[in-house]
Amino acid sequence: MSKENDPTEFERRASAVLRDGADGLDGATRSRLTQARHAALSQLGHESGWRNLRLILPGGAAAAAVLMALLWNFNGTVMPGGSGATLEDMDLLADAEGYELSQEPDLDFIEWAAAMGDSPAGT
Amino acid sequence: MPACPTLTAAATLLVPAARAERPGGQSLTMAESTAQALNSFLADVERRAFRMARMALRHDEDALDAVQDAMLQLVRRYAGRPGAEWRPLFYRILENRIRDLQRRRTVRGRVLAWMPWNRGDEDEDSDPVARAPDPTPGPVAQVEGREIGVALQEAIGHLPARQREAYLLRSLEGLDVAQTAAAMGCSEGSVKTHYSRALQHLRDQLGEFWT
Repeated sequence: MSKENDPTEFERRASAVLRDGADGLDGATRSRLTQARHAALSQLGHESGWRNLRLILPGGAAAAAVLMALLWNFNGTVMPGGSGATLEDMDLLADAEGYELSQEPDLDFIEWAAAMGDSPAGT
Repeated sequence: MPACPTLTAAATLLVPAARAERPGGQSLTMAESTAQALNSFLADVERRAFRMARMALRHDEDALDAVQDAMLQLVRRYAGRPGAEWRPLFYRILENRIRDLQRRRTVRGRVLAWMPWNRGDEDEDSDPVARAPDPTPGPVAQVEGREIGVALQEAIGHLPARQREAYLLRSLEGLDVAQTAAAMGCSEGSVKTHYSRALQHLRDQLGEFWT
């Protein structure tokens, strides 16, 4: 109010009119509000499951990424460079530019050239 | 005499260790007492919240959606907070939802305006913005012969959003300046400024007819 404990006549009347309007809602609207309230209250206690899921999802995604990297190694598709290949794979997955490179049509040639460079005999 | 559910629930919120009792004498769990307290709170605010949303959105279905979403968000996210915090939290969620619906409506209106079938003979019934009252005549010109409440609601509906929020939270919901500031996410000084400007605007619009 304009002064904390001293609303003007205009403010008092406007407040009264607004409150009367809120109290005088039609039955159909009141009924739908009641239904909405009950629907909301039926969700009480469901938030913990969602919170747990939100905590689980990032951890699960990280674990899945590590698992994918390990499987990549066990399948014999180790990138040149030996034991550091897993980390490089992770970098490639996380790097947008790396992803663009992997879409180039000459990727087979790049892999072949890298393998040739690492080969002691150069064959 | 059976215990009043509202008071029982409020008591258990104020004193968490206390266990409320059902009318039959069985004790309520904490979850049950929270549910009762939330039910009482939402039942108390829902009609005024609908009025606020209705004045902002000028559309019954959108207003009901906004209130329902605010109820859901409060229950899901803030049920565990102290009961004294629910009111400002609820109205903050509601105002965010109202703004979101207004933005979507604006975007929808722009997109629809670009559609080839909406050029030329536009169907105003399909666009909620077009169905909103035309502001050009203004509430002053329309007030004669109409309910003062309708004129007041229309005048409030044409206030800038922050002024409308401050005015309704103070005048309809009865929040004090600090609670209003918490609900609006701004300083108490801003609340006073918004409220004062809203009041001046409404006086200008309606004052001479308010006798």
